[in-house]
Amino acid sequence: MFDTIVALATRAGEGAVHIIRLSGADALKIINCSFKPVNLERWNSNENFTIHLGWFYDGDTLIDQVLVSKMKSPFSYTGEDVLEINCHGGMLPVRRILEICMRLGARHADKGEFTKRAFLNGKMDLIQAEAIIDLINSRTEFSANLAVTQLGGKLSEKINELRSELLDILAYVEANIDFPEDEIEDIAFNELYSKIEHAKCISIEIFKGSKTGKILRDGFSTVIAGRTNVGKSSLLNALLREERAIVTDIPGTTRDEIHEFVNLGQVLLHLIDTAGLRESLDPVEKIGIERTWKALNIADVILLLLDVKSVKDGVLSKDEEIILNEYGNKTIVLVNKVDLEKDFSVDIFKFSNDVCVIPFSVKEYVGFNLLEDEIIRRVFDGQTVQPSDALLSNIRQIEAMEKAINALEKAQEAVYQNVPIDLVSIDIRIALEEVSAITGQSVQDDLLENIFSRFCVGK
Amino acid sequence: MEYFAGKYDVIVVGAGHAGCEAALAAARLNCKTLLITINLDRVAHMPCNPSIGGPAKGHLVREIDALGGQMGIVADETSLQARLLNTGKGPAVQAFRIQSDKKAYSKRMLEILYAEENLTLLEALIEKIIISDSHIKGVVTRNGAQFEAENIIITSGTYLRGKIIIGETIYEGGPSGDIASVNLSRQLKELNIELDRFKTGTPPRINKRSVDFTKFVIQPGDNIPRHFSFLTPKSIFWGDNVSKQLPCWLGYTSEKTHSIIKNNLHRAPLFTGVVEGIGPRYCPSIEDKVVRFANREAHQIFLEPEGYDSDELYAAGLSTSLPEEIQLEFFRSISGLENVEFLRPGYAIEYDYVKPYQLSLALEVKAWPGLFTAGQINGTSGYEEAAAQGLMAGINAAMKVKGKDPFILRRSDGYLGVLVDDLVNKDVIKEPYRLFTSRAEYRLILRQDNADLRLTEKGRNIGLVSDERWLVYKKKVKELENINSVLNSLVFSPTDNEVQNILLSLGSSLLKSGLKAADLIKRPEILSEHLQQLTAELKNYSFEAIEESVIQIKYKGYIDKQMEQIIRFNKMEDKILPTDIDYSSIRGLANEAKQRLIEVFPHNIGQASRISGVNPSDISVLLIYLEQRRRGGSNV
Repeated sequence: MFDTIVALATRAGEGAVHIIRLSGADALKIINCSFKPVNLERWNSNENFTIHLGWFYDGDTLIDQVLVSKMKSPFSYTGEDVLEINCHGGMLPVRRILEICMRLGARHADKGEFTKRAFLNGKMDLIQAEAIIDLINSRTEFSANLAVTQLGGKLSEKINELRSELLDILAYVEANIDFPEDEIEDIAFNELYSKIEHAKCISIEIFKGSKTGKILRDGFSTVIAGRTNVGKSSLLNALLREERAIVTDIPGTTRDEIHEFVNLGQVLLHLIDTAGLRESLDPVEKIGIERTWKALNIADVILLLLDVKSVKDGVLSKDEEIILNEYGNKTIVLVNKVDLEKDFSVDIFKFSNDVCVIPFSVKEYVGFNLLEDEIIRRVFDGQTVQPSDALLSNIRQIEAMEKAINALEKAQEAVYQNVPIDLVSIDIRIALEEVSAITGQSVQDDLLENIFSRFCVGK
Repeated sequence: MEYFAGKYDVIVVGAGHAGCEAALAAARLNCKTLLITINLDRVAHMPCNPSIGGPAKGHLVREIDALGGQMGIVADETSLQARLLNTGKGPAVQAFRIQSDKKAYSKRMLEILYAEENLTLLEALIEKIIISDSHIKGVVTRNGAQFEAENIIITSGTYLRGKIIIGETIYEGGPSGDIASVNLSRQLKELNIELDRFKTGTPPRINKRSVDFTKFVIQPGDNIPRHFSFLTPKSIFWGDNVSKQLPCWLGYTSEKTHSIIKNNLHRAPLFTGVVEGIGPRYCPSIEDKVVRFANREAHQIFLEPEGYDSDELYAAGLSTSLPEEIQLEFFRSISGLENVEFLRPGYAIEYDYVKPYQLSLALEVKAWPGLFTAGQINGTSGYEEAAAQGLMAGINAAMKVKGKDPFILRRSDGYLGVLVDDLVNKDVIKEPYRLFTSRAEYRLILRQDNADLRLTEKGRNIGLVSDERWLVYKKKVKELENINSVLNSLVFSPTDNEVQNILLSLGSSLLKSGLKAADLIKRPEILSEHLQQLTAELKNYSFEAIEESVIQIKYKGYIDKQMEQIIRFNKMEDKILPTDIDYSSIRGLANEAKQRLIEVFPHNIGQASRISGVNPSDISVLLIYLEQRRRGGSNV
């Protein structure tokens, strides 16, 4: 209730501007760690209601130029210190800013929580109270179902595995503390370190499996495919705006995968440029082609470059047809070199309905905006990750997982620095509590249960 | 015939560890107090292990002492041996424990009770609670004596409908041969107080003359023994000669022991269904251990002396309710105990306890204002847990007499707060409740070294802290200030060879430039005891104060983090729920939450959030309800 909360105040998706609202006692502290105003003197002034231009940073890394509205308690919507960060309209800066605020101590707001605070702080009249209760209860149903239904088999298996590892570690530590004379071996620090390391690895794996987490951390995995010499490397370079891949007119120049990261419309793309798809006798090139198929399999999105001539003639290669048939729903067809065929229209070729086709020219910079829009749509509409993956979809779950990972990192550091075990246990416990929050289980009872079932304690 | 026998402010029924603290606290807070016990020779008796303290329990004793309670002082004065446990595991979990001379403890406590001005003692069995107009009015003894009082504290331990079980032998009785209290249990039921049944047990006591100690490993006390009380003990058994401490002895059970037990499980009440009450998992009987950990070749046992002038040894680890002859047989299969003689057999005891959700945080029965319960009757185990509750109940009965607000400690104030809060809010206690350090979420703040800094001022405010204790406390606070300023101004120089040599001997890296003392002690290998070697400036300060300030500096990062959590925690605790609240009529509360809130009737929002069955959304609804109510909304 009194902690600091943060959430996107505008509707998620693309727009010119997004507003992120931060409310609570630590709101100013958090913003002071991340925002550099143009006019520091004005920022520090004591006015109740001011707007400031400046830059939002993640440590030393610039995230975005932003406008921050600073409303001091009680002159704000919630009655607490409120900061509203107006950032640019992509979802990437929004995610990054939310992430940074949470890392600095804010919590993602519940549904209706700003309004609830507004009411509790006397900013709203009584009539609205009923509506807030309804809002809270609508969330209750949702969260009651959360632990049971949202956690699919594979994910709940993984999380339970993680939780029981953490319980084992903590029970070991706590049994050692609370039963000093029972026959519980002393804790070897290197063993503890590697146990924490293992739990951390599982946590990271789960975190990476989460939709947003995966995209935030790894980027949106994007394969550029197409027959040789259709312009794949040129596209990559255009996106990178630098010469990275070897671009020649000789077919088969790119024999290996090239990995690059690029921001497209505020989405981090993990670009994989592949060897061209063609039958080859060259053994090295053959390996490259095999890899290409593998990459296509795991990609979030495939950019299939087709030559405008072959589209116009209606002749697609066997490989191109396989891609369209097998991966149609995650493929964006870029019909390249449309600058060479002035009278080209998409309708010339009958693509199936689930395929998105964009007339394109790498050379003349045609179609890039449409591509950007399409990718953003795919990142945020929830259809980007294969359903077999272990998914953490809810922002609270992702937040909890991230906090668990941070806590485990701290615990490891503490072990490494020979910090006493009762302090190390603090961070292990935080990790366990965060993970337990996802599964909706209690820590205290299970901890004692674990101790008593594993260790023969009690004189 | 019943007759009027006297009028008191507070009557305490039972003189175990809870009853003694309760009676002393009430009397010291100027209430005319009567303490009634079944057996005046068993005041503050220890029917189980002869020791006080250990992790969390030792913390409790320090807290009891800091508030002006008695247990720590008497434990110090009558200890046989003192040890600090968990020394290498960090500041929060270091735990002090003493082996106690049971008879001396009991005798010393009785002297203190007799000496207390406002306190009257009486041996009697209470059979009835007087109710008039739905109010508590007093108690009646078996012999018909009516004592009037509007505040009654029941600290009846395991005596309520106590049942002793030794193999096939089962009889009604309290611990250590005392009689059980049957009618009082019935009375509580008639008052619609929900009772349930627990079980606990104790090992045989053996004659030390029959033990071959060469087969055991000696467990001596510390070379530099500490003490519980923040006041220096005026007398200790061993005086200045720490080698006079009595040792304990460590040994092991054998395969043969286990097979004897396994062959007689058909006669073990624990497994034949005779024992109905649930026993504690942290204190299992040997038959339970042998069954549950069947692949263990040996279990530890500790032989602990029961007194300087006693031949009794307590056989820790061998608690049992097997038939007496089986007990003897398996004891004699243990190396060193081949010729052992029993002084008393082990037994299990079943007893009624009051389900503690019926209590307020002041340990008052919510349905019966003026009726308090404390100690094992509330489903706890342990002398320390009992004493802690006794102290809180005694203080709160006195507060009630004076018309003052109840004295409630929070989870962030001490283990005392954790204990009471857990008892009241958990919907089911599945076994006798014992405190563990892992139950305290702010463990790093609730250290035993700072119990006085956390609680003595509170104790002073309620009037329980004596002038002597207050002066000791003020002196320590002043010392801490001085030590802190020394540590923050003193700079060690790399040219100081003496300092460099000490660092070298400690395996600590040598100074390359000047380093502030406050920074040097942040190194993990530099401990409080090294500071006095490193500088003469701290020679005049007590080790306790130096240790305290070193902990504060060394672990500042972690401490600050927990303090922040406590600030957030306290904001919820500060939101008090009105006493006339009708939970059944609040729209938006889940049905389960309504039921649990009506049952527990929490004191504040924080407590409400810890009740099992109450979810965060229910808390939001409650907060909105409170605000609506504050503004005088029409629907509430």
